[in-house]
Amino acid sequence: MVGMLRMVLVLSLLCALSGFVLSYLKIVTAPRIEEQVLTYVQGPALARVFTDTDNSLIADRRVFDLDGARVTVFPAFKDGSLLGVALEEKGKGYGGDMGVMVGFNMADDTVAAIGTTTLKETPGLGMRVAEADFTGQFSGLKAPAALSAQGGSIDAISGATISSVGVVEAVNKAAVLYARLKPEIVKAWSGEATSAVSGSPKHRQGE
Amino acid sequence: MSVMQDFTKGLWKELPPFRLLLGLCPTLAVTNSADNGLGMGMAVIFVLVLSNMIISMVRTIIPKKVRIACFIVIAASLVVAVELLMQAYAYPLYQQLGIFVPLIVVNCIILGRAEAFAAKNGIAASVADGLGMGLGFTLSLTFLGSIREILGNGTWFGKSVMWEGFEPLSIMVQAPGAFICLGLILAGMNMINIWQAQRTGHEPEALKQGCGSCQACASADTQCRQG
Repeated sequence: MVGMLRMVLVLSLLCALSGFVLSYLKIVTAPRIEEQVLTYVQGPALARVFTDTDNSLIADRRVFDLDGARVTVFPAFKDGSLLGVALEEKGKGYGGDMGVMVGFNMADDTVAAIGTTTLKETPGLGMRVAEADFTGQFSGLKAPAALSAQGGSIDAISGATISSVGVVEAVNKAAVLYARLKPEIVKAWSGEATSAVSGSPKHRQGE
Repeated sequence: MSVMQDFTKGLWKELPPFRLLLGLCPTLAVTNSADNGLGMGMAVIFVLVLSNMIISMVRTIIPKKVRIACFIVIAASLVVAVELLMQAYAYPLYQQLGIFVPLIVVNCIILGRAEAFAAKNGIAASVADGLGMGLGFTLSLTFLGSIREILGNGTWFGKSVMWEGFEPLSIMVQAPGAFICLGLILAGMNMINIWQAQRTGHEPEALKQGCGSCQACASADTQCRQG
C-alpha cells in the first residue's frame, strides 16, 4: 500500500513539476517565437507580395480587433504614402490549413499579389499553388475571386483542385477582412504615415 | 570505471549509431546535410546530458515499477524545452528538422542510457556518459551528413568544396543514400576493428558486438565461461 502510494506520489509530482516548468518556458519564449515565425514564415511571403517598399512590413505591423478576433495587418509604404496592406488568411487545403498572405492596393482595393506561408500539400501537386504561375493570377484582381470552373478567372492546378479552392477561399476571406477593416486601416496610418516613413529606419526604432 | 572512461566509451567503443545501432531513425532521416546532422546532434546532447543528470539525481526516490514512466516524463519535458528554445533561437534549423525534434523523446539512446546507466550510477558519471554518447552521436551524424552533402550536393556546411564541373549524385541526399552510406561506414568500422584486433592478436571485437548497452549477453557469456 505504501509502495503504491509512493508510486502515485512520485509520478504525480514529476508530472506537475514538468508541467510547471514547460508552461513557464512557453510563456517566456512566446514573444521571441512569434517574431521568428514572422521573420521566417510570413517574411518571405510578404517579400513576394510587396517587392518595392520603403519600410519593414513586419516591424510596422499592427494588430486590429475585429469582433474579438485579432487580425495582424502589415502596411507597405512607398514614397511617404500607404501603398497597400497585407494580411494573412487560412484556407482548407488537402493537408490541413494553408496560410495565404494577401496584399491589397489601397488605391483601388485590388489584390496586389499573394504569397503562401504555411503549406502541407502534396509535393508536385498541391504544392504547386505556391508557384508564381498560380499565385500570379491573383494580381490586379478585384475580390471575390473564383476558379474558372465557377465562372471566375483563376485557372486551378490540374490534379490539385482542393488546394486551388483553398487558396481562393483564403483570398476571399482576406478580402472580406480588408473591406471591413479599411476605414480603421486608413485612420491608423494616415496621421502617422509621414513620421513612419520620412525618418530613417534607425530613427523609427527609437520611437 | 573512471569518469573519463564513461565519457570516451561513447566516442568509439559504444558509438551509438554505428556500434550500438541505436537512434537510427534521426540518423538516417535528417543527415542530408552536415548542418542538419550537427543541429540534431546538439539537440540530442542537450537532452541526453540533462536527462542523465536528472535521472541520476532522482534515481533513489523513483519506485522501480514506474521508472520507465518517470524516465519518459523527464525526457519528454526536456524535448519540449528544446523544441521551444529551437523555435525561439534557431528557427531555420527547426524548419529543417521538423518532426524529428519532438521525436527525440522516443530516441532509443535517451531511454537506453537512462535505464542502462543513469539509473545505476552517480551524477558525475552519468553526465560524463551522456556527454560522451551525445558527442559520439553528434560526430556520427555530422560525419554521415558531410559525406552525403559532399557527394550529393557538392557542398560542405553550405560551402562549395568540389571541383568545377562536379556532377552531384543526387541519390546521396535522398533516403536511399542514407542507407548506402550507413552500410559503408559500418563496413569500414568493422574493417578497422578486425585489422586492429589482428595486429594486437585479440579476437576481433566486431564479431561479438551489438549488446553494449544492455550487457545481458556479456554477463551470460562470463557466466558460461565460469560455469
